[in-house]
Amino acid sequence: MTDYDLSKTIIPYLDRHLSFPLLAHLLEISIFPDQDVQTAQYELAKGTNMFDYAVQLFTQIYPDQPVPLEFDVKRTNAVSTHERLQQEAQAVLDVIENPDVAQALRQDKNQNLQYLKDNYNLTLEQITALYNFGQFQYSYGNYSGAADYLYHFRVLSTDNDLNTSAHWGKLASDILTGKWDIALEELNTLRDVIDSRAPAPLLAPSSAATSAATPEPALAQLHSRTWLVHWSLFVYFNHPQGRTLLLETFLAPTYLNTIQTSSPWILRYLAAAAILSRKTTTTSTSTSTPLSSRVRNAIREVVKVIQTEEYQYQDPVTSFLKELYIEFDFEAAQRELALAEEVVANDFFLNEFREEFLDNARYLISEAYCRIHQKIDIADLSERLNLSRDEGEKWIVNLIRETRMGADAKIDLEKNVIEINRPALPIYQTVIEKTRGLALRTQALGAAVGRTGQQGQGQTPKVAENQAPVVTVN
Amino acid sequence: MSRFFRQAGDSDSDSSESESELMTSGDEEAPSKLTAPAPKPAMSRFLRTAGSDSSDSESEESTDTDSEAGPEGDGDETDDEGERPGVRIMSAQEKRLKEMEATGKVMDNALKINDWVAISTEFDKLVRMIQRQHNVSEPIPPFYVRTLVNLESSVNNALAKEKESKKKMNATNAKALTAMKQKIKRAIKEYETDVKKYLEDPEAFNREYVALVSREPIAPAAPGSRGVTATTGDDTAVEEFTTVGKGGRGVQFTSEGIFKNLQAVQEARGKKNTDRAEQIRILEKLLEVAVTPYQRIRVLLALISSRFDYNSSVSTHMPTELWLAAQREVDQLVSIIASDSNFSIQEVTEDYDELIERSASTERGVVHVRGSIISFIDRLDDEFTRSLQNIDPHGTEYVDRLKDEKVLYCTICRAQAFYEKTNQNDPLGRVIMRRLEHIYSKPNAVVQALEAAVDDSDVKPSMTLVAQGGTAALVHGLCVHLYKAGNSLLRTRAMLSHIYHHALHNDFHTARDMLLMSHLQESIHSADVATQILYNRTVVQLGLCAFRSGLIKEAQATLQDIFTTQRVKELLAQGVHQQRFQVLTPEQEKAEKQRQLPFHMHINTELLEAAFLVSSMLIEIPLLASIDSEELKRKAISKPFRRLLDFADRQVFTGPPESTRDHIMQASKALQDGEWGTCRDLIQSIKIWSLMPEAAAVKEMLAKRIQEQGLRTYLFTYAPHYSTLSLSLLSRTFSLPLRTVSSIVSKMIWNEELSASLDQSGGIVLFHRIDLSRPQQLAQVIAEKAAAMVDQNEKALDVKMGGTGGWGERTDGSKGEKRGEQTQERRGRGERTRGARGGSRGGRGTRFSQGLGNQMPGQLTQRAS
Repeated sequence: MTDYDLSKTIIPYLDRHLSFPLLAHLLEISIFPDQDVQTAQYELAKGTNMFDYAVQLFTQIYPDQPVPLEFDVKRTNAVSTHERLQQEAQAVLDVIENPDVAQALRQDKNQNLQYLKDNYNLTLEQITALYNFGQFQYSYGNYSGAADYLYHFRVLSTDNDLNTSAHWGKLASDILTGKWDIALEELNTLRDVIDSRAPAPLLAPSSAATSAATPEPALAQLHSRTWLVHWSLFVYFNHPQGRTLLLETFLAPTYLNTIQTSSPWILRYLAAAAILSRKTTTTSTSTSTPLSSRVRNAIREVVKVIQTEEYQYQDPVTSFLKELYIEFDFEAAQRELALAEEVVANDFFLNEFREEFLDNARYLISEAYCRIHQKIDIADLSERLNLSRDEGEKWIVNLIRETRMGADAKIDLEKNVIEINRPALPIYQTVIEKTRGLALRTQALGAAVGRTGQQGQGQTPKVAENQAPVVTVN
Repeated sequence: MSRFFRQAGDSDSDSSESESELMTSGDEEAPSKLTAPAPKPAMSRFLRTAGSDSSDSESEESTDTDSEAGPEGDGDETDDEGERPGVRIMSAQEKRLKEMEATGKVMDNALKINDWVAISTEFDKLVRMIQRQHNVSEPIPPFYVRTLVNLESSVNNALAKEKESKKKMNATNAKALTAMKQKIKRAIKEYETDVKKYLEDPEAFNREYVALVSREPIAPAAPGSRGVTATTGDDTAVEEFTTVGKGGRGVQFTSEGIFKNLQAVQEARGKKNTDRAEQIRILEKLLEVAVTPYQRIRVLLALISSRFDYNSSVSTHMPTELWLAAQREVDQLVSIIASDSNFSIQEVTEDYDELIERSASTERGVVHVRGSIISFIDRLDDEFTRSLQNIDPHGTEYVDRLKDEKVLYCTICRAQAFYEKTNQNDPLGRVIMRRLEHIYSKPNAVVQALEAAVDDSDVKPSMTLVAQGGTAALVHGLCVHLYKAGNSLLRTRAMLSHIYHHALHNDFHTARDMLLMSHLQESIHSADVATQILYNRTVVQLGLCAFRSGLIKEAQATLQDIFTTQRVKELLAQGVHQQRFQVLTPEQEKAEKQRQLPFHMHINTELLEAAFLVSSMLIEIPLLASIDSEELKRKAISKPFRRLLDFADRQVFTGPPESTRDHIMQASKALQDGEWGTCRDLIQSIKIWSLMPEAAAVKEMLAKRIQEQGLRTYLFTYAPHYSTLSLSLLSRTFSLPLRTVSSIVSKMIWNEELSASLDQSGGIVLFHRIDLSRPQQLAQVIAEKAAAMVDQNEKALDVKMGGTGGWGERTDGSKGEKRGEQTQERRGRGERTRGARGGSRGGRGTRFSQGLGNQMPGQLTQRAS
């Protein structure tokens, strides 16, 4: 199972603190030797200000060795730094928390700054103290405190680089405190920041890997996006709406490119999310929130990407989709599904969704199976789904009921087969299908042309003309 | 006559003559010849000599000719003398003096008739001549000073007279007079000291000048154009001349005289009558006697240049022996420079005296010598390519010549090592590019052979095959160096070579990704022709690579572009395209010829065509079978293939296949009829496959593809005639495993290409055939057309807006579906970009012949990642 473990690939793209949950998970599923994982944890903790945790880990790993003295020294240092920074930050906080000030603050940051400076003698340097203190708190594990300070800092500061850095810090803090709603919000703003600014500075807080910042803006943006993709996994796989949002984000051209260029292993999560979102796509058609087409066609898109990137990356989850939708080899798909189940169960992000994944994957198999076959042996299908015969029957009945296939599919218990009669789509249906979007698209076109002025006016009437007879056909 | 006279008289003015001969570089000689005869009417001479008698003493030379040669045709005669070998040559200095005097005479004449305009122009001429005299750092002849003084007085007189006289001069004349006054004033000021000296004692001044002239030529040198004699010192001059007079050739080379000889050769370089072979011989001799490293460097530099000079015409190539010698000498030069850090060769140096021996001690540090090793390397490589272009590639001579690539490669590597050591980044980049160009398109074995030679040599560059451990790594290392080097042209070329190399080694995905990420397809049309050719080669190689790896679709899409132009050979620079409707000018033809690649670098076009047509067949035939309406049939994926197929269809009688095309066409027909076995046999019997590496594997792959596509074609064609078909029968007919058959059928059902379903229990395919009525069909067609039209409009608007489809983003709901497709085909987009640019490449192709890289408006906006 260790072959398919992605922790090692992902950790370099995470913050030090974000890696702890991953390592803890590895310790739980124990596919690696405990000793190794603990050592890794210790090495990580050493670089932070979480001395107690580090010491604890140290005693676990080397029970018979005395705790190194340096920790004590560092601790006293840290405590004094803490006090100093707190004092600095407190000065600012006192001002900001004053209700008068809170009311006087406006949208314009420069104006705010001026106001604070005039009335309370607060300078930018002092505000930066908020940032420093926030960062320090983060480094010893007080994430909620860090989030607060960084938030305040961001409201006031005008320094772009530090602001982005604060964004990252806040996101990490939110993730680590488990406030998924806030984290999601933070994630979205951060994404906007990265997308909007071409030369996005590559400044994730307190991480070593970022030091290799390059002057090229495009490259820096790619780096930022790669990081964002990895960090967002925490949010997307914990937030209730996360999977859908993940598809929405990752299938956007820019992020798809990022994944294909710099981190193809993310395809596993993309594929998993696509499979997981099956239920939502089928059930939510009745609910009020319409899903974007991107999510609806997620599977198809993901399959295409998997196919093109096959040479770079494959694991059971992606090969499952490949076997099912490219090769149409149901046996192989079944095999891959069994493997994929295990992979999912062991994956830090996906393990919560094991049941759901399996359920949806089975559904996908049977859907494809039913569409291609006319007469299906229940026993055979059950086998395809890794289910016993009775279970299989129950499952199939549920499936038929759920998906309103009832009209087409009948179970013949005597012969133990399902018969599917799929009448061919009437021709007018296809014509309607084809012409459905035309009116709206033309409208949009017209609006766009109108906006640009006279240039392309010849186009719209032509389309409208041509469309008229089509509509009548409907 | 005058020669003997003078020779007997004094020898120093003789040597001054040869000295000034040296000074006369090509451009100086020309004007002096042009101007000389003009102001020399016979009469003026008499007048002048009569007017100013002191001129005799100024230079013996002028008196000689003046008094003895007689007035008539004197000028011509001296000129002739200059040309004739063996006869005494009139030195350029003397010529100049004569010219000056002639100008002076004209001025005197003009003075008499009070023509100030003429005086003014003549004076300007004189000043120019003096200026030239200055340039060659010769002293001012007293004649000039005297003229100045005379003129000043006459101008003053004229002005005075002008004031008194009632009759005014005409306006231009008056103007010229005042202008003259100014000029004279300026000139006198310039030569104030000289004028003063002259006024004090004209005789003394003259004497001084003569003394100066005779003392000056301390550094006499060798003979003029024809005389191959090398003088070694002043004292031997007389003796030398006697030898020449007898027609013999006194050749004495010593290491002391080396620089003088060298300078002589250099002076003669580029002159019309120089015997280049002779020059090379002299230099070779000089090299033998050269002792110090400095001498050797200097001689080598001159020798290599003159070897390259040997063939002046562009069309022919350098003789092989000469080339080899040059190659050895470059090697020698590099090793001297590399071994002795006291010397360095630079293109730009401070001026130094060419005639002095220099060493680290005299220069206090590194001795800089003017020259450029990189240009020698470039030239050497170019000459090699040119010789290969000119040699018949089917003869043994070509192969023999090709063997020289090894030594050339070694030389390049040595130069690289040298530049690495001395940290010269610019030439290093160029030399690495040269090296890369020698290995990027070669199979491993050849590269190994080349590298083996490098390993044997004493100077090794930092990157060798052994050190890098593999050709791919070596190419990668070289390319990475060039990527970092910042020269954008080299970077582009390195990138293309790198992609080519990947493609050659069947690393399709890496090659494709690199090509797409480089975004080269957007900018390549503005590159120079050579780079465009490299780009075409790269794309073609990529297509072949896809074909070898069994990626039929990719291969077809990649090769399509170049085949639709129908000028494959021209675009790959592997042959001049025969144009039916336009005739190339000789210049164009020549340029085209020079661009041609040497034969051993050619990509076999027949193989290329076979790959393209076979992949087209595999895609097109099932497609043809799947569509039933006539209208749809017109949409061809591969036009060239469709055209050939139509042509083959029209043939009444088809004989056994002969050419590759025949094979493929007959195979296509067999495939259409469902006879995949015949098709396979025909395809496999194509002989050209043997040129492809891993031919057996490719054939096997093709057989498999033919089976699969045969099955698809069969299903498409015959589905209407069946209501059920057993899978096992299909599997038997097409000798495919049952699993593959059901996979293919499932895929077709899933993609709604085939309206059928599987009955698993019975193992059969059930066809649901629906016959459409005519109106229904038409309705479908019109719906499709409307959709296509909207698509087109959107695309057109996209182009017009130029942005990244910004307007469409807002209408997410309606456009969503389409956008989805766009994102899906992100990868495809790259390919399509290439496809869409196919047209523009065609356009570019037409400009190849004119050698213009024309700017094409970017049709597609690539979404930046």
